[in-house]
Amino acid sequence: MFGTVNNYLSSISRAAEACDGDTLGKFLSLRDVHVQNHNLYIAQPEKLRNSLKPPLDEIVTAHLKVLYYLAQKPPNYMEAYNQQATSCSSVVKLLQQLKDENWPLPLMYRVCLDLRYLAQACEKHCRGFTPGNILEKAADCMMGCFRVCAADGRAAEQDTKRLGMMNLVNQLFKVYFRINKLHLCKPLIRAIENSSFKESFPLPEQITYKYFVGRRAMFDSNYSMAVEDLSYAFAHCPERFTSNKRLILIYLVPVKMLLGYLPRKSLLERYDLLLFHDLALALKAGNVNKFDEIVHHHEIVLIRSGIYLLVEKLKFIVYRNLFKKVFAIRQTHQLDMGDFMSALQFVGVTDASLDETHCIIANLIYEGKIKGYISHAHNKLVVSKQNPFPPLIAT
Amino acid sequence: MKLRGSCESFCPETETKMRIKEKLLNFYEYKNGQKNVPGLLVKEFTRSAAGVVTPKVKDMRTEECLVRTVEYLFKEICLDKRKPFRFAYDFIFDRLRAVRQEIVIQEFDSRQSVRLMEPMIMFLAYSLYTLSTEPIDNFDPKICQQHLQECLKRVLCCYDDLEKDPQTESLRNLQRRYFIEALYQIFNLGVFEALSRGLTLPLHVRQDEVFKLAFNISMDYHRGHLYRVLQNIPTLPHIMCSLASLKMQTLRRRLLALFSHAYHNKVLTVPVTYLIRLLVLKSPNVLFQQCRQYNITVSKDRTAVLFYKNDYNGDINTLKSMHESFVNAKLERINLPEVLLLKKF
Repeated sequence: MFGTVNNYLSSISRAAEACDGDTLGKFLSLRDVHVQNHNLYIAQPEKLRNSLKPPLDEIVTAHLKVLYYLAQKPPNYMEAYNQQATSCSSVVKLLQQLKDENWPLPLMYRVCLDLRYLAQACEKHCRGFTPGNILEKAADCMMGCFRVCAADGRAAEQDTKRLGMMNLVNQLFKVYFRINKLHLCKPLIRAIENSSFKESFPLPEQITYKYFVGRRAMFDSNYSMAVEDLSYAFAHCPERFTSNKRLILIYLVPVKMLLGYLPRKSLLERYDLLLFHDLALALKAGNVNKFDEIVHHHEIVLIRSGIYLLVEKLKFIVYRNLFKKVFAIRQTHQLDMGDFMSALQFVGVTDASLDETHCIIANLIYEGKIKGYISHAHNKLVVSKQNPFPPLIAT
Repeated sequence: MKLRGSCESFCPETETKMRIKEKLLNFYEYKNGQKNVPGLLVKEFTRSAAGVVTPKVKDMRTEECLVRTVEYLFKEICLDKRKPFRFAYDFIFDRLRAVRQEIVIQEFDSRQSVRLMEPMIMFLAYSLYTLSTEPIDNFDPKICQQHLQECLKRVLCCYDDLEKDPQTESLRNLQRRYFIEALYQIFNLGVFEALSRGLTLPLHVRQDEVFKLAFNISMDYHRGHLYRVLQNIPTLPHIMCSLASLKMQTLRRRLLALFSHAYHNKVLTVPVTYLIRLLVLKSPNVLFQQCRQYNITVSKDRTAVLFYKNDYNGDINTLKSMHESFVNAKLERINLPEVLLLKKF
């Protein structure tokens, strides 16, 4: 594409004059076909004569350098990243110059996206810095863009750069989740929630946003919020994006299980998530051993997707269901603690002692999952005549 | 260009001269028993601030000298019984901070940093427990915790960096790492960030026995399985056990809160012996102290406790942490400098 450098530069110049952000973004993207053009691999593009106005010329110069460093064998990711960061700060300048105009937003999205990809490549291939450091720096660059966008309060609604906020926030979320710095998400969420036209962001961005906000709520143990956000994301995500819908379900299903909703098998089947079906069966049966086995078997998947710790929280629900079975068998309101201990031992907690059984039951009573009290002297659990095991959805 | 220190004594000459002249010596820097006779000086921590010139090469110590400094502090000062431990702590804390500063200025690599910082972590953890009963004027646990966390995070980053290198670590170094990784889990009991780290560590770390024990305790804490947490803490090794024991009072309180609901009854009682066992307390009196604090009724003959959920006081402060007998028994048996320097586990 473009053939010569001059041709490339004049195409850019035309796109800029036409205020065509989308085309400009394409011409400065690392995923466009022009990156295969060897004529564009230039070590010192400053020497080229061009008619581009600053700071657009800086953006283009940096972009050509990125192409040059990536074409090296092996690719010099570190330098490429540094140039992309320069390009990003020039985009900030460009945005600052333009009052009441927001056409370069697509360009900004592109540059930030590539910056993140390059930072990820550096993390993977380069050494000599603490892990996550480059990604964090990339996030700082993007924050520069974010600040310009967030501060643009005077322009009319269709021209305001604030429309770019959610796209950036989503990109920043991706970085922060990757480097495990979830606390940094908080101010971003506040900025979005407080913005007056929260609803006018494009739907795909809103879905991504809700997906991340939901996941964060989940890590904060704010489960009902998590369900709300993740459900929104799942419901609005179009059918054709199966893998995205699956990603949302990976979080939505266990959170709902924690709140007492078991997933339908057909749904799990459709998204290749039958692991949760097995888990739900073990949970329902109160089979601690089986539950642990499944968790252990899928350990890597659960850890990678970040739900291992959440799934572990289901453990007390497994106990509750097991004890409910003891109650169903004994058919009395005064249940022997020894029976519960035997039940625990039967389902694989072989080292369960009477002390431990007392503590587990005490925990369930405290959380309202069992209604009743323990009589230590008689070694009995006395359960309520009405609804001794209230449905989890209610608690 | 990296700066490299050349000083081979604990305290650079310029500082030594200045501090002797200005009589700015610490108690531990005077020669034993002789007033005003300078003994061994150790470089003080000074804040790097605007206007302060970059340190000269001769004002910074070599890596070997820094190692010797740390060893000296733990072998000599830590065991110095002339004054209570908190004085030694203040002195060592400051001098270690100076060492840390040099690690940063001289841009030591991961291997060098780890070697120097692992013992600092051990010392801070040990001090946090030993001085936990001191009044706030004598010892500020917040600052100590903050430094401990900083050191831990720094060292963990170094481990990750070293892990990238296919070069095999010595067994000794690996053991040190396992201990510190476990200590991090214990210090951050049930914390999401720490647990996620624990889950994604390389297999050789996750399979280490001590690490597994510490990680499982943290995991049980996350699950809310307090019984297991309380029962397993006393099985941890020395320093780690002492660090974990600082959470005992919170754990006991939470269990008592559970019990206030579970054993809620106006007539029925729960025997003292059972509670002592579950709460890992050494005598009925300590249990009564807990009951007083959280407003739980003790029976007249003092052999049982009456739980009543409306009585339990959830607003009052948790009891201050105390020196636990199971920890003290462990600490008495160790050779402190060897353990702090991670030469013995």
